[in-house]
Amino acid sequence: MEDIRTRYPGYDLLKEQKEWDPHTREVVLKRLGPFPKPKFFQENEVQVLKIIANHLVYDNRSEITDWVIHHIDQSLTSNIGEGQRAPKAPQAKDLIRWGLQAINKVATIKYKAVFLGLDEKQQFGILAAIQNGKAEAVPEWAKVPQKELFKKLAAEIVSAYYSHPTVWSEIGYGGPAYTRGYVRVEIGLTDPWEAKSDAKQ
Amino acid sequence: MRNNNDYVTHNCDHFDGHRYNHLNNRKYEDEADICIVGAGAAGGVLAYELSKAGFKVVAIEAGPFWNPQTDFASDELTAQSLAWQDTRLSTGKNPLTFGHNNSGRGVGGGTVHFTGVFLRFHESDFKTKTLDGVGEDWPISYQDLEPYYNKIEHDIAVSGPKHFPWGNYNGPYPYPEREPISANAQVFREGCEKLGIPSVVAPLAIISAPFDGRPPCINRGFCNQGCMPNSKFSTLVHHIPKAIDNGAEVLSDCMVTRINVDKQGKVTGVTFMHDNKEYRQKAKLVILAAFAVETPRLLLHSACSQFPNGMANSSGLVGRYLMPHTGHDMYAKFDHEVRLYKGTPVLATCQEFYETDESRGFARGYTLHAHGSRPVEMAQGLAKSAGIWGKDLYEIMRDYNYYGRITQVGEVLPDINNSVSLGQEADEYGMPKPVVSFSYGENDRKLIDHGVKKANEILQAAGGKPAFTVPDTAHLLGGARMGEDPKQSVVNKFCRSHDIPNLYVCDASVFVTSGGGNPTETVMAIASRTADHIIEQAKAQEY
Repeated sequence: MEDIRTRYPGYDLLKEQKEWDPHTREVVLKRLGPFPKPKFFQENEVQVLKIIANHLVYDNRSEITDWVIHHIDQSLTSNIGEGQRAPKAPQAKDLIRWGLQAINKVATIKYKAVFLGLDEKQQFGILAAIQNGKAEAVPEWAKVPQKELFKKLAAEIVSAYYSHPTVWSEIGYGGPAYTRGYVRVEIGLTDPWEAKSDAKQ
Repeated sequence: MRNNNDYVTHNCDHFDGHRYNHLNNRKYEDEADICIVGAGAAGGVLAYELSKAGFKVVAIEAGPFWNPQTDFASDELTAQSLAWQDTRLSTGKNPLTFGHNNSGRGVGGGTVHFTGVFLRFHESDFKTKTLDGVGEDWPISYQDLEPYYNKIEHDIAVSGPKHFPWGNYNGPYPYPEREPISANAQVFREGCEKLGIPSVVAPLAIISAPFDGRPPCINRGFCNQGCMPNSKFSTLVHHIPKAIDNGAEVLSDCMVTRINVDKQGKVTGVTFMHDNKEYRQKAKLVILAAFAVETPRLLLHSACSQFPNGMANSSGLVGRYLMPHTGHDMYAKFDHEVRLYKGTPVLATCQEFYETDESRGFARGYTLHAHGSRPVEMAQGLAKSAGIWGKDLYEIMRDYNYYGRITQVGEVLPDINNSVSLGQEADEYGMPKPVVSFSYGENDRKLIDHGVKKANEILQAAGGKPAFTVPDTAHLLGGARMGEDPKQSVVNKFCRSHDIPNLYVCDASVFVTSGGGNPTETVMAIASRTADHIIEQAKAQEY
């Protein structure tokens, strides 16, 4: 999988960090770690969440996963609201904590092992079932709507993952662009510092 | 001569060169003439116009007084704080998402993170019942708003094409259209041209040349994350600093929790919370401009013995007829790079499908925009709304630079059951959280299907391969609609509540129908018209 990871080998957007405004530079560089110990999550929860994150974004590099976990941990310890929530769903803290418990319960009932003990295919299967609201019946689902759980995990994990500068470089995203902006924006044009496409595939 | 940056600090009380991080030196503590709740698109215009006319104005804003240089960042995650994030309970068959797509927090409100698309409503938008037998007629016409559309466009130097082919106003705009346009906008215009569909460079509240001490746009592309060079208009950088110069006071980080009335049922002011402490602001006149969720919520929460069903609610319609716009995003893959991150997100637009065409099988219509996107928005939409994750998501995002995108902004017909009401849970201020219920109707679904198909045709004509559709909505309107009949509406045609003479509602909640395009210019035109009306009424000693 590594050979097709990027169409822009050699592009490292962090080389441009001197061009960024100080506030943006500060928030982006913090994503490289090191990260403090989680405040909200217990170690066993972190292990399960890491596996889920790796599957959802199809990437198991720990330096990126650690940032994803740190970001979710931070957002669950803050008092800022979550935009919207289904009236039947508990608040994000409980949705995710109880959801992780439910996922382990499903694994135990279905495969007689905890989620971490399953193979990848089995783990994928459970996540796909939750996405469709069709995971094995366990009492926990009474207070954790499955589809809401999947959406919350997907939104949090994916938004953190695609905010990591390594991922930005790989997809050829220009990233922070203040104060210089772009001069060449039309089809086929790139500013000198942008990612350059390799041979058309 | 003070510089705009002087105002943008995290103090909570701001007036005439004074800024405090406490509320002990309030300018209008005794009483203001006018108290405006919410300093967004409408509140900013009202504060500016009314302070210019000599009124003692206080604008109270729930969120902070942003400093673009130190609070904004070229980063999607950081910019989430510019949206209203307090939890709203969202229900119905099509529960709405809240945040960047519709609601702002802090001085400037939604104008801080809007795309800057600046469109007038068409004449037909104000009489959909008469023309199409759907929705309801407004108590005002296009002609009533026309002078205010003209004024606003000049006040902020809207850039746009020499000729705009749809609706009543065909240009020219005060400032030249933006040039160059982004690759995504080029692709959109090429596709339209191949199909014989007219398209234009979008009219934008983003300057194309220096104006009022602000520099032209540098195509950074982060309009939705807050403009750092101040090239995009917001009431944060335009109207509010001028209002302060005119003598207005802005209280930020202050959440209004109640409207107060006397025994006769006249409004006396508001109660608000700052830093866990309760304060009052007395005023002769109160104007709510707090967004289509918070305005009805505040009216309902202000129920008292004189108004047991909530304030200004004798019709029972406060919180009713809530309307988002459809906001479906259509992505197509190209064999060349498009780089959706570059340039102002919306640089080309098309209103060819705006008006009713009976042959399509539904009433009303929509606007299509070439619409840039950043990685978080695109990937999150795919995972959360389109259900794409794992290897599929990874493979799409690896080719992020090869996707183009068109977004529909479509009319949603008013339905009494789409509503804001008060829930059981309390928020941090002790107010019941709002419950927002939304379900599309049949006409809305047909309109969406048509727009998705049309957008895909355009992308295909430009050489793209339609790839996926991400369901979404944008904006929120209604909840305190205007009308002639007090039994069928909450405010009159000047946004004055039918029930309480010194209480006005002036924001997107007064909309009767949604129109099929971005609403900010209409919100501001209505605010400007209401300001004129209040000035006239005051001269006649009406208050």
